[in-house]
Amino acid sequence: MFIPTPRVQVPSTAANGEIFQVKALISHRMETGLRRDDQGDVIPRNIINRFSCRYNDVIVFGVDLHEAVAANPYLEFYLRATESGRLEFVWEEDGGHIYALTHQLTVG
Amino acid sequence: MVEGTKTANFTRRALLTAAAAAGAGVAGGVFISQVDAGDSDDDVAIVKQLTGKTPVESDRIHLVMPRTFPNGYTVPLSLEIDSPMTEADHVRHVRVLAPHNPLIEVARFHFVPRRSEPRVSTRIRLAEPQYVLAVVEMNDGALLMNKTWVEVATNGCT
Repeated sequence: MFIPTPRVQVPSTAANGEIFQVKALISHRMETGLRRDDQGDVIPRNIINRFSCRYNDVIVFGVDLHEAVAANPYLEFYLRATESGRLEFVWEEDGGHIYALTHQLTVG
Repeated sequence: MVEGTKTANFTRRALLTAAAAAGAGVAGGVFISQVDAGDSDDDVAIVKQLTGKTPVESDRIHLVMPRTFPNGYTVPLSLEIDSPMTEADHVRHVRVLAPHNPLIEVARFHFVPRRSEPRVSTRIRLAEPQYVLAVVEMNDGALLMNKTWVEVATNGCT
């Protein structure tokens, strides 16, 4: 069975007020529900439908993903460093399964 | 702030049929002939049907994609909107639409004033050569739109 693996690339330190880049990737087929198997049966949809990023428990960025986001969805986005603390990244899959990562950021 | 979205699956045909039906009541046959006139009218009709608002074309939206790409499975997309991202003036969210895909909604990106910049990159699937649309909702409810033509050589949706 294929196990989706999330990864992020985030700096560990940033200056106060600085804009920093986040790269987030999860290995996932993003099965669209539009394909059929060899027997002609529809392969059920199974996608990551939501990604969100919390910064000390406040949502600072979110994405609703549909079928047309490519497999192994990759997201690059930009946040403002406001305080030291915890960044939390959450990927939500059809059926309710959740994949998550956290990252510690020090703002000097 | 960053609200979730109901995940209805919209097809282009369903939206245009609904738009034409809605338009027929108000403007008779005029609406149909506009749709026949070309794709750019289709784009506005689709956005109007999805959001209930008429989008305004804006060069504040920078939607960057390759003009031609060898496969439709993983087409790079970069998006940036000129905005101060203050409480008084910010981007609420951006929708990416591919009207000639089997399902036209691609993704919606939510931003937060003073916390995130309206700038993202990702990779998307395209079924055929088409205009990809970016529809931006500002904090005052105004709807801005821009689009870019992408020629893919293979269908990325099968």
